[in-house]
Order: sequence, then C-alpha cells, then structure tokens
Amino acid sequence: MRRLFLTITALLLTAGCSIAGNDDADGKTTVTFRLWDEQVATAYEQSFAAFEKTHPEITVDVQVVPWADYWTKLPADVAAGTAADIFWTNTSNFGLYADNGHLLPVDVSGDWTKSVVDLYTRGGKLWGVPQLWDSIALYYNKDLVTKAGVDPAALTWDPSRPDDPFRAALRRLTADGAGRHPGEAGFDPKDITTYGFNAALDQQAIMWDFVGSNGGTWQTGDAFTFADQPKTAQAVQYVVDLINKEHVAPSAADTNTNSDKALQLFTQGRIALFQSGPYHLKAVHDGAGFPWGIAPLLDGPAGRVGVVHGVAAVASARTAHKEATTEVLKWIGSADGQRPIAAGGYAFPGVTSVQPAFVDHWRQRGVDLQPFLDSAGGTTFPAPVGPRVGSGGTAYAPVLQQVFLGQLGVVDGLRKAQNAGNEAMKG
Amino acid sequence: MRRAVLTYLALSLAAVVILAPYLMSVQTSVKTPRQFAQQPPLAPPRPPTGENYAELTVGGHTLIPPLVITVQVVLVVVLGQLVCSVLAAYAFARLDFPGRDAIFWVYLATLMVPAVAVLVPRFVLLSEAGLVNTFWGIVLPSMFGSPYAIFLLRQFFRAVPQELLDAARIDGAGHPRVLRHVMLPLSRPVLATLLIITAVTHWNDFLWPLVVTSGARWEVLTVAVAGLQSQYQGNWTLVMAATTLATMPLLVLFTIFQKHIVKSITITGMK
Repeated sequence: MRRLFLTITALLLTAGCSIAGNDDADGKTTVTFRLWDEQVATAYEQSFAAFEKTHPEITVDVQVVPWADYWTKLPADVAAGTAADIFWTNTSNFGLYADNGHLLPVDVSGDWTKSVVDLYTRGGKLWGVPQLWDSIALYYNKDLVTKAGVDPAALTWDPSRPDDPFRAALRRLTADGAGRHPGEAGFDPKDITTYGFNAALDQQAIMWDFVGSNGGTWQTGDAFTFADQPKTAQAVQYVVDLINKEHVAPSAADTNTNSDKALQLFTQGRIALFQSGPYHLKAVHDGAGFPWGIAPLLDGPAGRVGVVHGVAAVASARTAHKEATTEVLKWIGSADGQRPIAAGGYAFPGVTSVQPAFVDHWRQRGVDLQPFLDSAGGTTFPAPVGPRVGSGGTAYAPVLQQVFLGQLGVVDGLRKAQNAGNEAMKG
Repeated sequence: MRRAVLTYLALSLAAVVILAPYLMSVQTSVKTPRQFAQQPPLAPPRPPTGENYAELTVGGHTLIPPLVITVQVVLVVVLGQLVCSVLAAYAFARLDFPGRDAIFWVYLATLMVPAVAVLVPRFVLLSEAGLVNTFWGIVLPSMFGSPYAIFLLRQFFRAVPQELLDAARIDGAGHPRVLRHVMLPLSRPVLATLLIITAVTHWNDFLWPLVVTSGARWEVLTVAVAGLQSQYQGNWTLVMAATTLATMPLLVLFTIFQKHIVKSITITGMK
C-alpha cells in the first residue's frame, strides 16, 4: 500500500512533463505547421530539417491532426486564434477562411502547378501555396483484362448508345461464382466474385469525372446546379445503373460508408478496373499480388475529363510571427522544400520542377504515371469551390447515398440533394 | 437441466457477439498489410507477424509518449475526481446548510447538457486563460468532480445508517474523521466502481484532448491512434494493433477491480 502510494505520488509529481519532444526554443521562433497526413509529415520533417540549417533562428513544429477530425478542430482553433501558423487545407474548406480574413494572402510567387493555383485563387488573390495535387486515372488488373480481352487504354463510354462499349466490356469483366457474366442466363448478382469497375459514390474519383466527361458541371458560381443539367443527371444515372442495374460494380451498401471497400476488392484481385487517384499508388503497390497498370480515363461524349484536386498550405492571419511564417511559406513553395514529398513518392508536388522526382520514384518501381499527367494536362473538372461548399457537401451526402442505393430516383434525388446543399450553404 | 443448457447457449451466443469484434481486431493486428490487402478480413493470419506491434513500441510510430501522457491524465483526473466528489457528496448527503438541495439539483441538471454543447465555450475559456496545448488544459475541466460521481456517492452515503455516524459523533469524531473512518471504509465497492468508470471514461476520452492540444507534445493515446489513419491510408493492421494495445491496460484494471465492481452492482443496482 505504502509503495503504491509512493508510486502514485512520484507519478503525480511528474504529471505535466511530456517525454515527447519539447518546444523550448531558446530564443528561436517556433512556427507551427499542421497537416492531416502522417506519411507526408515524414517528408516535411526532412524538408524542415534542411530549412532549419539555413535558418538557425527558426524551428518548425509539424503537427498531425487526424483527417477524420481535421475539420472539426480547425474552426475552433481559428475562432480562438490558436490555429497553427501554417496549415494544410483542401478546396472545400478554405474559401470561408479566405473570405473572413483569417488567412494571409500569398505574396510570394513560385513555379507552381497552374490548376492548383487556380483552385486557391479567390477574389483575384492567391490564398495558399500549392503543396500537392491529384488527378484521376484508371488502375487495372492485367490478368483480369487480358482474360476478358479488354484493352483498358481504349475504353469509351456513351450513355445514350444502346451498344455502349464500356458497359459491354464491364459485363465481360464481371463474373459470378459459376463464371457466368451479367446478362447471361442464370447469372447470380448476389454471388459476384469479380467486379468490372468500382462505380460508387466517390465524387472525386468517379462521379464528377463521369459528369465532366458527359459535358455536365456541378456548380454555377458557388451554387450547386447539378439537378438542373440533363447531362449531369444522365451521367449520374449511368454510374448508378452500373451498380444496381448492370451489376458490374460492388453494391452501394458496401461502398457508401466504407471508402476503403473498393480499394480492398481491387487489391484482393476482385475488381478489374479501379478508377482512382495517385493517392492510392502506395496502397495498390504494397497490396496487389498481381500485375497491374494505369490507363487513361475513359473517353466520353465530351472527351476524357477528370477531377484535379490540390492541397495547399495557408498561413493564419493571426500568426504571432509573420516574418518567420513567410520564410517557412516560401520554403515549402520552393523546389528544395518540396523535393522530399516528390522523391519519397508521396504525391505529385505543387512545385512543377520537382515533379520528375515523383515520376522517377514510381518508374523505378515499374509504374508509369503518364496517365495521371495526361489527365491533369487535359480537360479537367474543377474541384468544388465556395466558402461553404464543405457544409453543402455534408448536407447532400445522405441524399446521394440513397440515390446510389437505388432507394431514390436519380432525378428526384439530385433535386433533393441540390436543395439541401444550397440550403446548407446559405448558412 | 434443459433450462441450464438453453441458458448457457444464450449466454455463449451473447459472448460471441460481444467478443467477436475484439478477436477480429486482434487477428488483424498480427497480419501484414499485404495479407490484409489481399485476403478477406476473416482469413486467419498466416504467418502471424509482430511487425505492427514492433512499429508501435520501438518503431517510428511509437505509442510510448502518448501512453505516458494518458496515464498522467487519468491519474490526475481520477484522484481529483474521487477526492472532490467524496467531499461534495458527503456535504450533500450528510450536512445541513441552506440551499443544499437546490444546489444539488442544479448541479445534477448539468448532467443533461451534452458535452459537445459546452465544447466551444470551454475551449474559448481555456484559451483565454492561456491553457490551450498544455497538460492542465486537458485535465482541469474534469478534475474537480463530476455530477455523475457526486450523485452516485450521495445516494450511497445516504443509505449508510445514521446510527453509525451518531455513534462516531458521540465518541467525539468531527466530520473529517467520520468521513475517513466510517463512510469511506463502508463505501469501498462504490469507490472502486467510480474509480474504474472514471478511469475508463478518461482513458477513452478523445474529443476534448483532440480539441485542446495540437502536436506530439501532449498527444494522448486516442488522438495518436486516430492520427495513424489519413484521408486515403487506412493503415488497418497498424490501427488494430494500436487499439489492442490501448485496450490492454483497461483489461488489467478491470481484472484487479472485478470483484468490487460485481459487488457494487449487486449493492447499488447501478451499472
């Protein structure tokens, strides 16, 4: 008992002492940098180690906040003025902070990917330093496409053609436990062992790409107008039919709430064509036990159109040390500052000149990233913008989930979703 | 006999339902990421690997610093709560002072306010006090007792026969001595229950530490485990190993206090 008491006292005396790092900067200025990806954080640590050598008066404290709670924590921190000096943001969430004067406009310039610069330009000013970007292409399982005689690089789709080549190819790629394909007598949609495609409510990787490839858009200005556009509705209908009518994609009951489901089916060798971004390169490379490749996006009525999305680093307007923050911002917008991100194979860097380092990383592992570059260089579909588009998206998500489950018709569902989204954006 | 068989059948079924998620997380934690990616979730680990655990203890994702922080937080909060709640409950149960019941019911009513509702005001309060991203920022809001603990103890203290207290008073004991030598020895089961409930609650507390701290310095276990997952990287094998590790101390705690807990449930009818 006595010993227990002593132990507890000792522990209490040391309470409030952390063994994880310290921020005793001894005269140095500490700039905090927040992001949501613990893997890319490793690359930043490397990058800042080099920075601190040339800037001995500044230390950079990298803080990882879990993605799932990033957008819960940020508003509280911004409101209380305790946000990190520099933090990562995506397009859905930065507009509100830019409009409310919480961010410092970026007055340095750099050799940055133009599409990402465009995404973060609002009211004629640039608000973030491009850090990384994603485009969409088609991963494919070589064994499965060879067996079905499908050339993934030559796929085209057209929702209005009854003999749509993409649907025909997907039917050949999909098989049930007895080896029968959809459309054949006795095909059992409840016992599918191999799916053709990962059609799902994945806006960035699937839905918006089809919408764009059909000539539709999602927003007009900041407002959602997807329900008003027949071409958008037609594309969504096409994707939903792939799941519920054609049975060539996993059920939305599995994919709606588990965004990893399609990836897992692909690495298990149970999906032939997996449309996604470079953010899944590592998972596919580490997980797949079969030969795979990357093909360009499908060619549709309006051509090959894919979403380009970028992550930027923004600086808080309430930073206590503006000069040091600007120095760090300059560094992470420079080629040297971003090289670890590219060379480590984490993502396409925002700085154009270090892009080859990323491509080389994957070429050495036998992966050709050209389809992603083509996708970004071709016609692109802008990621959603606007100050409150994040809350709009949250508001319409449950309605779209019902649409993908087949519980709600596409036309009615889109209308309902659009109203809910625009209502939420009014704030 | 037949009834016993049925009872056991029902009980084992319930045990399976309750234990299955834990077993799944344990078996996923000894798989390689590659096996997890290639095979269905229920496939047995072949061969079992310790690499996830190694990564979490001595590797780049070590959970030791967050574990130390979490132990400190739980210790301070549990001690603070037990001491303050015992004193408050004794006052509410056994002392006569004007407005006693009114204060008690008002305090109890705060039980009805969801924690999320006070999250932002509380955060602003602490940030004005300069306590954001400090150890005391994590523990201060909950270390001075909780309405639940005070209610539980007050009910228990009220049930102690007045004669026992009167006897102690006649022998010349003041309130502190009555509390120390009569009340507390009688309340062991309920104190044990309270201890474990408080420890578990704060061991698992996620939202408040997440909001009030940033960065590795004061990161608690729950926040560190959540940080293993990114937008596109599930890291499931690592996360399952981490949750298994994080649950372990609670199982030990439960084993130690098991007898008291079962006893207190039978005494108070509380769960």
